Amino acid sequence: MSSPPHHEVAAYALGLLDQEDNEVFERHLVECVDCQTELTELADVPDLLDEVRNKRSPIEGRPG
Amino acid sequence: MLNRCKYVAVSRKPSPESAELDPGINEQDERLIGALYQAFGSRLLHHVRRATGNDHHWAEDVVQETLVRAWRHAGKLNHEPGLLWAWLLTVARRIIIDGRRRRSARPEEVEDTGLDAVSVPDESERTIAAMVVSEALERLSVEHREVIEETYLRDRTINEAAEVLRIPPGTVKSRLYYAIRALRRDLKEKGVT
Repeated sequence: MSSPPHHEVAAYALGLLDQEDNEVFERHLVECVDCQTELTELADVPDLLDEVRNKRSPIEGRPG
Repeated sequence: MLNRCKYVAVSRKPSPESAELDPGINEQDERLIGALYQAFGSRLLHHVRRATGNDHHWAEDVVQETLVRAWRHAGKLNHEPGLLWAWLLTVARRIIIDGRRRRSARPEEVEDTGLDAVSVPDESERTIAAMVVSEALERLSVEHREVIEETYLRDRTINEAAEVLRIPPGTVKSRLYYAIRALRRDLKEKGVT
């Protein structure tokens, strides 16, 4: 099987890959040092984006 | 698949009894899950609480599920701590995103007991962080800002965002990559990350 593109690491870190792509990427991640380094570097970005999300809708998960 | 309900009543750390609920978990596994809790539980809970909008029960549930998934992947987890931590955050995030989607499909009252001792940053601190990140988003190119907005910030899947943006899913993913890197670089220059 061919490896997923390295740039999927961002969608992976944000939890946006669908189940199948996520599993494929994780198998790649175990082998790919570059993606491991990038994932570690990007790990805090989703939390920072959550600050913006929470500011927009202070009570998460409740529509309206 | 574990029945999430079995874990709802379990408080901060899983007791040995909670592990007995799953016939697939033996004594050695219990120790491993316990060790994962020891190592990552409270730090993970702190992060997860922020992402769940400070919803105590939901956050604990997410931590439980994350660490159980980590246990299932234990054989593959011999990585350096920074990477392991990043991986745990990713697993937790997927669980949270699933929860957000479920919740927006089926609204449900959430209860905040307010009894938890884990500190969360106070409101002013969070306002500043939100402001700094918003400003950094504004400094991105339109394409980069748009792809972050139409995916993560709006709870859209890659495919949904691809439809909205009228670009192929692969382009959403690569554009997101450059957008997130640009955002991180900017925030790093501002001393945020």
